[in-house]
Amino acid sequence: MRSSRVLAEQLSTASRCTIPRVRQTRGYAQAKKTPAAKHQSQGFKGNKNKGDDARKKLKVDNVGLFKPLPVNQLTDPVFKSDYRSSLTLPTYSPEALTDAAIGLAMEFPMSENEAIRAYGVPKNLLIEFRVLSKPCSVVRDVTLKAVDTLDAAGMTPSRDTRLIMTGPSGCGKSYLLLQTVEYATHNNWIVLYIPRAIQLVNSSTTYVYDPRTRTYHQPEYSYQLLRRFLSVNSTALQNITSREDLPLGDHTIPAGSPLTELVEAGIHNKDLASVVLSALMSELSQQSTYPVLLAVDDAQALYGYSSYRDPHYRTLMAQHLSIPRLLLEYASGKKSFPRGAFFGAASTAHTSFLMPLEMCEALGLPPSRPTSPYTPRSPDMVSYAQGLRNFPVPAQLSINEAAALFDVWMSDNALHSGEVRQNGELVAAPNDELFMTKYCEASGNARAFVWKGLLSTLGSL
Amino acid sequence: MNVAKRMVNAAVRSRSYATMYVPPASLENVVVRRQTPKRTPESPNFYTGRAAYFDQVNALELALQHTRSALQTLQLLPLPSFVRESIPPGHHVWLTKLGLTEMLNAPLTTSRYRRLLGLLNQLDNYRRIAEVAGVEGLASRVADVLEIFERENKEAFLARGKRKPVEFDEYGRSYTVGRRKESAARVWAIAVQKQTPDAPSASTEDQPLDPLPQLTPTITSAMGDSPLPPTEITSTNVLINNIPLSQFFPLPADRERVVRPLKIAGLVGAYNIFALVRGGGTTGQSGAISLGIAKALAAHVPDVEPLLRRAKLLRRDPRMAERKKTGRAKARKAYTWVKR
Repeated sequence: MRSSRVLAEQLSTASRCTIPRVRQTRGYAQAKKTPAAKHQSQGFKGNKNKGDDARKKLKVDNVGLFKPLPVNQLTDPVFKSDYRSSLTLPTYSPEALTDAAIGLAMEFPMSENEAIRAYGVPKNLLIEFRVLSKPCSVVRDVTLKAVDTLDAAGMTPSRDTRLIMTGPSGCGKSYLLLQTVEYATHNNWIVLYIPRAIQLVNSSTTYVYDPRTRTYHQPEYSYQLLRRFLSVNSTALQNITSREDLPLGDHTIPAGSPLTELVEAGIHNKDLASVVLSALMSELSQQSTYPVLLAVDDAQALYGYSSYRDPHYRTLMAQHLSIPRLLLEYASGKKSFPRGAFFGAASTAHTSFLMPLEMCEALGLPPSRPTSPYTPRSPDMVSYAQGLRNFPVPAQLSINEAAALFDVWMSDNALHSGEVRQNGELVAAPNDELFMTKYCEASGNARAFVWKGLLSTLGSL
Repeated sequence: MNVAKRMVNAAVRSRSYATMYVPPASLENVVVRRQTPKRTPESPNFYTGRAAYFDQVNALELALQHTRSALQTLQLLPLPSFVRESIPPGHHVWLTKLGLTEMLNAPLTTSRYRRLLGLLNQLDNYRRIAEVAGVEGLASRVADVLEIFERENKEAFLARGKRKPVEFDEYGRSYTVGRRKESAARVWAIAVQKQTPDAPSASTEDQPLDPLPQLTPTITSAMGDSPLPPTEITSTNVLINNIPLSQFFPLPADRERVVRPLKIAGLVGAYNIFALVRGGGTTGQSGAISLGIAKALAAHVPDVEPLLRRAKLLRRDPRMAERKKTGRAKARKAYTWVKR
């Protein structure tokens, strides 16, 4: 118990890839906040001697929004701390995903090695999970479709199943990818989930040129990725043995040793993390005991230019960085797992990393700008994008799915409309008119329905 | 002498038995005048010089006389004053003086025209009394008489200044226009069609062996034991310039303004809306669409009109941008006052 808490704290304090501090109940029995542990980061660090402690406290989490205050600080009766309720929903599990489950909200099981805890989730999902009392999602018909595709892909090489989930902004692509990842982890798949691929290319993590591979390694990111990968997939990795020797500077990891040793070698020494990561991926590409899911959210950021610069101040393309290149190779089918799939989700959140023309054409989507046959298309990008299949996520929620979503927010006492006077005070009593009007205003779009409709409305009727 | 001559001549002329001898030579230069027989004039009013006019007047007075006697027989005349006041007023649109002149083919002065109008109004009063009393035959005959003197575009004349009723096309779509500030929106509304639930498909399996005999239940419940069939919920799709509402208006305030008429009428999910909007900014466009939708709902469901009217959704907001004035920076903003 103690060791797992320490691990959780270390993971949270030292990371750039954030782990959400998600709890079972909102603020009940919250552990007292410990000061941030000293984090050792390598690479260039300016202002080394100035205000280290204050800086470290700030760097605990990138997303500082919607963090619940502890109950003992909320003493005023207006907060109604005694009336806090928690959602009671069925647990999301592979067995529960039947046709009858469409239109049901299910909570994600938050075990110690859960993928959500270890890998993190995209920023907007993180905020929602913080606001809700439990991380949950609604099972849609596309969920079953994605999960069926995943099941079918479990027997075939990943080259045959390379999907990108696309759709308009706010339609539920990231949620769908997360549901697929959770399904895979609970179905004994090996899962590598990158919730924010944008952090690979937006120059937020250290990078160093490697003349051997002639790409730029990202040692910090590789280290964090290996740690999380180990925490999620440790049981599977113990059963897989490496097939080749891996020389690592002063020592060598012999063939036949379990992959956990390989990964721990990369964790103990950050300089070797990048090498270990690529070796790990090549080992996984040779085993067929476990199917492997490579899931990348914000996948369109890997196709195009990054924010990094080389020493001559030229912009680097994402493919010049080792980790994005690795992901691109699996996405394009140049490398493949004997059993597994590549699932990506396009994101519309970052306008500086829009879906490029080559990817639009590969997926059969209309490009964002008018193009002609004379518009230059990078041949590298075309080769990395070829063979990707579009997995469209419907723009509209069905009424039943929207009703389940409405129920989740209503049960969590998050709605403030439809106030009715009861016992001398105003109590929110959401009704079907609120549901229908907000659904209509959102045109069925999930994010617009919840955030712009239910939570942002100023109308009290 | 003249008197004597005259007397003789008169005597000669009056003597019918005595023929006058006329020598043949003087008969040669005689011009025989054709004797046209005197015809009786068509109208007894011929000698008034304005036969057509007086014919009409006489006819109307005759009609008035007959109607009056009929109403008196039915004891509808004379009416007490409170009854007369309670009869709904008449909306008559008689021919103009020019029109009547053309009809009569005779010149008509103003005083004669007004006399005719007086008779027509009187007849119309009797017609209204008969109509209210329920004497359909009499009322319709009098109306037939009066119709001759009414203008052709009577309906259009009476409806001038009033709003045209909203028309529906062959698919049941209404077309309305809403305006706000500088924006104009054209709105088509069509009722959402519920999908009829499919009848349970007949199973292709064979009948099970020997169905059990149906037992008649001895206990009956008022509501029945079978669960209620699930109600099918339809949703309203709003397309503006062929773009869904959530994409066209990013602000929640604009979206709520567009959906408000449906919400207040309680018709969210009942109608699909397609709108073309142009001009102005977001607030103007959303307000224009809202007015168009409110008018459409009032046309589809007239019961809802008082609700929308009380909610001020059927009112075209008259506020427009105030003009800039000379000597001022904007409509009201003044330049900085300088003491010297």
